[in-house]
Amino acid sequence: MKKNSTLNRLLVVLVFLFLYTPILLLIVFSFNAGDSSIVWKGFSLDWYGKLFNNRLIMQSVYTTLLVSFLATAIATLAGTFAAIGFYAMRRRTRNLLNTVNNIPMMNADIVTGVAMCLLFVAFFNYWNDFAAWFNTMQRFVELPMLYMGFGTLLIAHITFNIPYVILSVSPKLRQMDKNLVDAAMDLGCTWMQAFWKVILPEIKPGIVSGALTAFTMSIDDFIISYFTAGTSSSTLAMTIYGMTKKRVSPEVNAISTLLFLTVLMLLVIVNVREAKAEERKARSASLPVYGADYQPPKKSVVLAKKAATGVLVCLVIGGMLVIRHSAKAERVVNVCSWGEYIDESLIEQFEAQTGITVNYQTVSDNETLYSQLKTGGADFDVVVPSDYMVARLIAEDMLAEIDYSNVPNFDLIDQRFKNLSYDPENKYTVPYTWGTVGIIYNTTMVDEPITSWSAMFDPKYAGEVVMIRNSRDALAAGLLYLGYDVNTTDTAQIQEAYQLLADAKAQGVYQGFYMDEIFQKMEGGNAAITMYYAGDYLSMLENNPDLAFVVPEEGSNWFVDAMCILKDARNKTEAEEWINFIASTDCNLANMDYIWYASPNAEALEQYPDYYLETYEEELDPGIYEIMAAPEETLERCTLYRNLPAEILKLYNDLWTKLGI
Amino acid sequence: MKNKQAPLAIPYVIWMAIFVVAPIVMVVLYAFSTAEGSFTLSNFSAIGDYAVVFGRSFRLALIATAICLLIGYPVSYIMSREGEKFQRVAMVLIMLPMWMNFLLRTYSWISILENNGLLNQFFRSIGLIDLYNSVMGTDIQYFRMIGTSGAVVLGMVYNYLPFMILPIYSVIIKLDKSLIEAARDLGANSFNVFRRVILPLSLPGVLSGITMVFVPSVSTFAISKMLGGGTQMMLGDLIEQQFLGGAYNPQLGAAISLVMMVIVVVCMWVMNRFGEGEEQAVVL
Repeated sequence: MKKNSTLNRLLVVLVFLFLYTPILLLIVFSFNAGDSSIVWKGFSLDWYGKLFNNRLIMQSVYTTLLVSFLATAIATLAGTFAAIGFYAMRRRTRNLLNTVNNIPMMNADIVTGVAMCLLFVAFFNYWNDFAAWFNTMQRFVELPMLYMGFGTLLIAHITFNIPYVILSVSPKLRQMDKNLVDAAMDLGCTWMQAFWKVILPEIKPGIVSGALTAFTMSIDDFIISYFTAGTSSSTLAMTIYGMTKKRVSPEVNAISTLLFLTVLMLLVIVNVREAKAEERKARSASLPVYGADYQPPKKSVVLAKKAATGVLVCLVIGGMLVIRHSAKAERVVNVCSWGEYIDESLIEQFEAQTGITVNYQTVSDNETLYSQLKTGGADFDVVVPSDYMVARLIAEDMLAEIDYSNVPNFDLIDQRFKNLSYDPENKYTVPYTWGTVGIIYNTTMVDEPITSWSAMFDPKYAGEVVMIRNSRDALAAGLLYLGYDVNTTDTAQIQEAYQLLADAKAQGVYQGFYMDEIFQKMEGGNAAITMYYAGDYLSMLENNPDLAFVVPEEGSNWFVDAMCILKDARNKTEAEEWINFIASTDCNLANMDYIWYASPNAEALEQYPDYYLETYEEELDPGIYEIMAAPEETLERCTLYRNLPAEILKLYNDLWTKLGI
Repeated sequence: MKNKQAPLAIPYVIWMAIFVVAPIVMVVLYAFSTAEGSFTLSNFSAIGDYAVVFGRSFRLALIATAICLLIGYPVSYIMSREGEKFQRVAMVLIMLPMWMNFLLRTYSWISILENNGLLNQFFRSIGLIDLYNSVMGTDIQYFRMIGTSGAVVLGMVYNYLPFMILPIYSVIIKLDKSLIEAARDLGANSFNVFRRVILPLSLPGVLSGITMVFVPSVSTFAISKMLGGGTQMMLGDLIEQQFLGGAYNPQLGAAISLVMMVIVVVCMWVMNRFGEGEEQAVVL
C-alpha cells in the first residue's frame, strides 16, 4: 500500500498532541510545590510523599484496582462461556439474546447506573424489612442486613464488562472452522478436552482483547460506579468528584501520574517483546523447516503470564483479606464529610488511640448528602452537614440524640456555638467548624474596593463574575442585596431575587456557575469577583496575594457545620468516641491549620495564633485571623440559614433548574 | 454436539435477566409512578419544561459526533497505512489516556481554556489577539472559551475520540487487501478505490463508532458542569440532579431517563438499518 504524505502524518501528530496536552499538564502540576493546579510555585516531590499517607486516596485507588481486576476476571470467564453458548444456539434465540446483551453498551451510562441503583435500593428495602421481621421471629438463623457497597459496585462492573468480552470473542468463534471440534471429538476427545485444545487456542486473541477492553472500561468508569457504589466504598473517580466543595488535591495528580506511567511502562515492555518475537518469527520463517508452524511458547511470554497470574492472585487474596479484616474488625465507625475537610493524620491518631477503624467517606455538598441518605444507599454513622441541613434532618427524624456524657469535650465548645437555631436544645449536634460567606475579589481587576452584594449582579463586570453553584447561597446573595431576610418564605421576594440572578445571567455578568473550580479561577486571575467561604479564601490567598475578602455591608450568611449521628447508625458508641476525639482542642487546632476554617472550640480559637507561631515560626497576620474567625461585630451582620418549608425548598429547586437551563 | 454447548450461556442469561432487564423495568415503573407509588403520567408532562435541555443535549452531541468522525476516520485510515510498528505504538497511545481518570483530564482542560489559560497566553504571545483586535476593531484581552457550548463540545470530542478511532481502525485493518488490489488492477484510481471499496466496507466500524461517541455525549454530566460552567445544562446533569443532586425527584429522573433511552434507541435502530445488521461492532 501507499505510504502517507507528511501532511497526513501531521494530522496524526496533531491528534496526539490534542490527546496528550492535558495529561502532560496534569503530570507537570503533580510536581508543583504549591497546591494550586494553575499557579506554579516550583518543583517538589511533596505530593508524592503525602500521597502514601493519604488513606482516602490510597483506599479508593485500591478499590478501583480491585473492582476492575475482579470484574474483568469474572466477566472474561462468564463472557467467554456465554459467547460459546450463544454461538451454539439457534439464530433466532441468539439474535434476541445479543440484543439484550447489547443493552448495557447501547444505553447511556447514566441510565444504566440509575436503573441498577433503583433495583438495588428496591431489593434491599424489601430484603431488610424481611430480614428484620425474620430475625425477630426466630433466633436460630440471623439474616444480615444488606447495603450498597463493594458488592453492588462489583455486580455493576461485571454487568457492563461482559458485553465487551462477548463482542470480541464472538467473531473469533465465527471465524473458527466448525469441523475442528467435531474432528477432535471423533478422535476421542471429551468436550472439555476439545475446549482446551481446540476452541481456546482459536479464540484466545478475542479473549485477551475482550479482557483488556473490559479492564480499561472499568478503570475509566465513573458514572455507573457513582450510582451503584453506595457510600461505604468509593473509587478514585468518586473520590475526586467528592472533592468538589474544595479543590482537587494535587495528590490525585500524583497518583494518576504513577498509574499512568506504570501502564505506559507495561505496555511498552509488552510491545517491545511482541515486536521482537515477531522479528524472530519472520527470520525463522524464511528457513523451510518441517513443522515450522509450530512455535513453542516463548519463555518470556510464559514468564509474563505467570507473573500476571501471580499478581492477580495476590490482589484477589489480598482483597479478600482486607474485606475479611474489615468485616472482622470489631469496632468500626463510618464517617461522612466534605472532601479535603480534615487533617488526615487525625484519623490515624484516633485509630491508634482507640483501635476503632475509621471508614472515612466524602460527598460534595449538603444536597447530595441528603439525596444519598434518602436513596437509602448510605451506611454512615457520623455526618457533618451544615446548619440548615441539620435542621432538615432533625425535622425528618433522621438523627439520633447524642449522649453528651460520652462527649465530655463538648464542654470546650464556645457558648456562642451551642443551642443555635438549627438545634435549639442542643440534643443532636457537636459543631465542627464555622465561618462566613463573603465576596472574594481580585484587587487588580476592579477599580474600587467592593463592599456590596451589588458587585455580583453588576453588568460593569460582565464576564468577570463567577457565581457559586449552590442554590441556597446564590439566591441568598440576591435576597441580601434586595434587603430581604435570607430565610424568607415570601415567594414574591424569592422570585425577585431569582429575577435579579436571571437578568444578570442574561446580561452576561456570569462567566459561569462553579464550586471547586473557583479556586483556580481566582488564583489564576481568570475571574475578578466571586462569592465563597472565608476559609477557602485564605487558601486561595496563598497562591494569589492580590485577592481580597469582604463580608458585604448588607450582611451575609454565617454557617456552622456540625457533627451528628444518624438515627439508624450501627456504631453509635464508636460514633460518640469519634465526635469526642474531634472536638478536642488538639484536633481543632490541627484542623484549623489544615483547612483554614474556624473552630468552635473556645480554647483552640484562642490558642491558634500561638500555635501558628510555633509551627511556622512567624506571626499570624491579625487580619487573616479575623477573616478566619469573624469578630462579633461582623457576625452580628450575618444570619444562619434555617431549614425552609417543603414548598419553599421546591421553589428553590425549580428556580435553580430554570436558571441552569 | 452443538446444543450441548448452549447451556453454557444459561448463567449469563439469568444474570442478564436480573441485572440488565430488571433494572430497566424498574426505570419504567418509577417513571409511571408518583412518590407515593400510584400510577401517573405527570412525570412525562413535566418533561416539557426541559425541552431546551433535550434540544441542547442532542445538538451538542451530534456536533461532537460529527467532529469525531471527521477527525477519527482520516486518522484511522492514515494509521492503517503505516508500518506495523507505528500502528502498534499508535494504538497504545490512543488507549492510554483512558487510564488517566476522565474527571482529571477534563479538569485539566479548564486551565487550558481559561481567560488567562495556556491557550490564550499562546495566542497572545504569537500576536493573534492583537491581530484580531486590529482587524475587527475590538479591544479584547482574551478569547472567551471556557463556559461556552464550544468548550463542552471540545470536552466530548476529547473524551470520546478514541471510541471513534478504535472501531473504525479495527475494521479497516481487517479489510481483505486483495479486494483493493483487484480494484486497482481493474483500473480504479486511489480515490475510487477509497470510495467504492474501502469506505463501504468500513461502514460497520463507522456505525459503531458513531454509537459509541453519540450515546455517552448525549448523556454526559460532568463535562458540561466543568467546561460549560453550569450554563450549559445537559440531560445527564438533569438526571443526576433528580437522583443524587439537589432536586431529589427520582420519579421525574426515571421519566427523563426513559425518554432519552427511547430516543437514543430509535436513532440507533434507524441508523443501523443502513448498516450490516449482525454484531459487526468490534471495539478492539
